[in-house]
Amino acid sequence: MFWTVTLSILQGCGEAAKLFFLTLLFALPLGLVVAFGSMNKWAPFRFLLRGKSAPGGTLRALAAFRPISALTNLIVWVIRGTPLILQLIIIFYGPGMWFKANPWNAFSDGRMFACTLAFVINYACYFSVIYRGGIEGVPAGQREAGQVLGLTRSQIFFQVTLLQMVKRIVPPMSNEVITLVKDTSLARVIAITEITKAGEAFMKSAGITWPLFYTAVFYLAFVGILTILFYFIERKLSYFR
Amino acid sequence: MAILDVQHIEKHFGGTQVLRDISFSLEEGQALSIIGSSGSGKTTLLRCLNFLETPDKGVISVRGETLFDAEDTRRPSEAEIRQRRLHFGLVFQSFNLFPQYTALQNVTLARELMAKENRESRDAILQEGRELLGRMGLADRAEHYPHQLSGGQQQRVAIARALALKPDILCFDEPTSALDPELTGEVLKVIRSLAEQKTTMIIVTHEMAFARDVADQVIFMDGGVIVEQGPAREVIDHPKEERTQHFLSRFAQQ
Repeated sequence: MFWTVTLSILQGCGEAAKLFFLTLLFALPLGLVVAFGSMNKWAPFRFLLRGKSAPGGTLRALAAFRPISALTNLIVWVIRGTPLILQLIIIFYGPGMWFKANPWNAFSDGRMFACTLAFVINYACYFSVIYRGGIEGVPAGQREAGQVLGLTRSQIFFQVTLLQMVKRIVPPMSNEVITLVKDTSLARVIAITEITKAGEAFMKSAGITWPLFYTAVFYLAFVGILTILFYFIERKLSYFR
Repeated sequence: MAILDVQHIEKHFGGTQVLRDISFSLEEGQALSIIGSSGSGKTTLLRCLNFLETPDKGVISVRGETLFDAEDTRRPSEAEIRQRRLHFGLVFQSFNLFPQYTALQNVTLARELMAKENRESRDAILQEGRELLGRMGLADRAEHYPHQLSGGQQQRVAIARALALKPDILCFDEPTSALDPELTGEVLKVIRSLAEQKTTMIIVTHEMAFARDVADQVIFMDGGVIVEQGPAREVIDHPKEERTQHFLSRFAQQ
């Protein structure tokens, strides 16, 4: 029995690991894009203030309106403000209900595809806020020092700001990545057999509960490895302040 | 001909006018000191010269070439702004060294990035960086990171970093204001030696005795205008304007 359970949970681990790594692979860069979107300063109606000495309240509000930033913040609010499990259900079952055909069936692993999509969108929004904190946490003087040295905008970002930002975001990122490990258990709601579902199955089929505790060992091992990894990243970046 | 010519600069932040009709010029090899109380617009003026702020009005030219003209409606490209900035160097009050780079890397970073375009040899850049640090008395600190250096050492690295790009005019924004009193001396000594080597400089400072000794010209600013300007000793020892007298008397009392 022990080996049957272990094998089954290991298969669940495979699914969970696939979801975990795919989510990181896409959500880490996408989060940066979302972060830049929320910090975008484009204000198309700013010209309305030109030549006005005492603009009214409405005019000033319109001039300060930043559509890209506002839209991004709205999306982040909706995604962070609703449960991931709800987003999973809507993304996987929604299209099939609305269009009478489930588009996810077009993929060989449609469930995992839909699941990854939901996770990437959700986690990109959380990551974006962490990135924004990291970018805004780098003193303006760093950027200005780069400017007066004649560096281009991308040189300033990649050579000056980026590493300082990375150093700042490692602790909050470790929190989020550890949460992601445990959030993979939500994939069961669209019938993906991840770790928890694999363990729970034996409660129903064989009437035993110890596999539930056994699954915890796998989560702990996974998180344990990540904790050590983050410890090394933090130590690696401790050479500067 | 003056190396720097500034004509009728004005700058607003929202409804507040920070700079009003600022005009002055600077000869090559001279040091100009800008004095005045906090909020008088000294720092904003330096930031305008380094294109960290855009003046609302006025003209800035270096060696007869117009770098900025508020009348010019054409928006300069990012590359053009970068080219113009290279005429000026800026040493910040809070150093702003890049913490993830060693002292030497701080000095050579911009040159190395530019070397990709002009194919300057990396060895030559490093060699020059070490020489600059040597001139700052920091030859043995080249491989140190900023947090391993004292404030005075950090500021000297920042000066070397600005000098590495060989700017026409080197600007200092209160270079010793963030330092402990016992560390100001080493930074002032470096600036003094730069003045002796005829480096063209603009120094915003609260060190009156230093300004009097080192600068050729002094500008006293108050409320966003130039109240008085002239030869350093004349302005500081025998100010003509009442506001300058009042400002300097407060320093004499300290």
